[in-house]
Amino acid sequence: MNTLEYLTGSQAHLFWPGVVTALLVAMLGALLSPLVVLKRLAFIGQGVSHAAFGGVGLGLALGLGGDSLADQAALQAVVIAFSIGAALGIAWLSARPETKPDTAIGIVLAAAMALGFILYRVAGQRASASGSSRPPALESVLFGDVLSASWADALSACVVLVLVAFALWWSRRRLIFWGFDEPASRAFGVPEGSTRTVLLVLLALSVVVAVNLAGIVLATALFVLPGAIALARSTRLGGVWAWSVVGAGVSALLGLVLSFEADLMPGPSVVLAMTGAFLLARLLPRGA
Amino acid sequence: MPSQPDTSSHALSLRDVCYRYPGASGYAVDGVSIEVAPGERLGVLGPNGGGKSTLLKLVLGLLEPREGSIRVGGLTPDEARRRGLVGYLPQKVNAGLDWPLSVRQVVAMPITSRLRPWQQPGEEAKESIARAIELVGMLEHANTPIGRLSGGQVQRAMIARAVASGPRILLLDEPTVGVDVVGQRRFGELIERLHDELDLTVVTVSHDLTTVAATSDRIACLRRTLHFHDAPEGLTPQVLADVFSHDVESVFGAVHVDAHAAADCDDPTHTHHEHSHDSAHNHPHSEDEGERS
Repeated sequence: MNTLEYLTGSQAHLFWPGVVTALLVAMLGALLSPLVVLKRLAFIGQGVSHAAFGGVGLGLALGLGGDSLADQAALQAVVIAFSIGAALGIAWLSARPETKPDTAIGIVLAAAMALGFILYRVAGQRASASGSSRPPALESVLFGDVLSASWADALSACVVLVLVAFALWWSRRRLIFWGFDEPASRAFGVPEGSTRTVLLVLLALSVVVAVNLAGIVLATALFVLPGAIALARSTRLGGVWAWSVVGAGVSALLGLVLSFEADLMPGPSVVLAMTGAFLLARLLPRGA
Repeated sequence: MPSQPDTSSHALSLRDVCYRYPGASGYAVDGVSIEVAPGERLGVLGPNGGGKSTLLKLVLGLLEPREGSIRVGGLTPDEARRRGLVGYLPQKVNAGLDWPLSVRQVVAMPITSRLRPWQQPGEEAKESIARAIELVGMLEHANTPIGRLSGGQVQRAMIARAVASGPRILLLDEPTVGVDVVGQRRFGELIERLHDELDLTVVTVSHDLTTVAATSDRIACLRRTLHFHDAPEGLTPQVLADVFSHDVESVFGAVHVDAHAAADCDDPTHTHHEHSHDSAHNHPHSEDEGERS
């Protein structure tokens, strides 16, 4: 079955929400990606996406594994709260003189994953004992399963995208000053703590949404590759953000086409398409 | 209510300022009193770990003194900073030079970061940004990405950023780390030009004597307490040896200090060896004063 058949055939209504969600999530990652790359936050993103697994485990263990919209929303809320907590925990640990940032991330990442696996298993055992619905397959949590997304998923991705875009626009000047030259921005009156917190909360929120598309293992790629593509093509602020969003959107679509045509997993296909775009961006000569 | 400017205002006034970091056993800055007149150029010289950075953070309002008071143009450091009265040049290594920013965007940051999200800089702001870029001789590079500049050009862009919002006092933090002798001389000339044209008060903090001497009318030696506080001519090898004595070997290495001492001895103004505490007329404490901790 090829892309056209998937998207126009009798089953098309099952796939369109996934395609729209994938595009929205790719653009969401792309909005934050230049900041993540330039401020060296990729590893924090990695920490947060893995921490999200702890949140998934916690939510499932709390009995939020049902298919109802209320259960799904409650599960998302737990994952988001858990991930924001992890991001702030990493920031708090990193700010302490006795802990280096990579140590802090290593600790939070491993602890959250360990907790996630244990709680995931507990939830599974409880579900089979009580005969209720089993938690989602581990593979779809780890690698994403965007094509099973519903219109509700697409809507929530859209809401987060608008929210993140507005928050970035609102605090763009202090984010860029702080990111570019942290000690100087402090001396010129940029509130360091709240600026960092705003960025980490936006990142955590977006990572949770991105886990839908690319899973816990690959979500970080959506926050690294678009920025890397953009910075290879432009040295202007506006140009970098434009390249990031357009590059991510186009390569997400190409990735989905690849996934439809060759019957591959959509998350890894999108990540591979973005990696290809990055290589092209680096290898092709740049205009003056 | 913001505090009212002091009518007999010094550009900068520190009175018995003490600061101890949380958990530290001793004071980083202990009983420091300095008054800097408007338009004066003060150099703060001292070894690494001698309290210079702490002093700068106190003046910027990033740390609160445990004791004593600080006024910048008669205002609290926070208020002065909020009103854009303080320009600051950090050590250049801190900036992310891979950011896709033009020189003009970097210079504009202190102004634009104060605007509301929906506001754009007005004509007056644009003019002061352009003037700052022109004063440091970077007009032809105004639209060049910051990452394509040489080290010296980056520093000039940072100086333009420090003066763009029209500050009354300019704080320079170790401004010539890693800069060669020619670069240091040019830096001194540029600071002098800014000082003259913008009528700025300049405070330079450095562990490098050459830098401090090139940019200052008056030098304060700081190693936790003020050890000396006078015109550069009064700075003898003994004073330097005294300020740097405890950690000459560990911090500077013998060769570095010897080179400075030798340079001073070549200078006819530095050959007299009669320094006494009397020359340090603003000296707030005896050098023998014990530690507060």
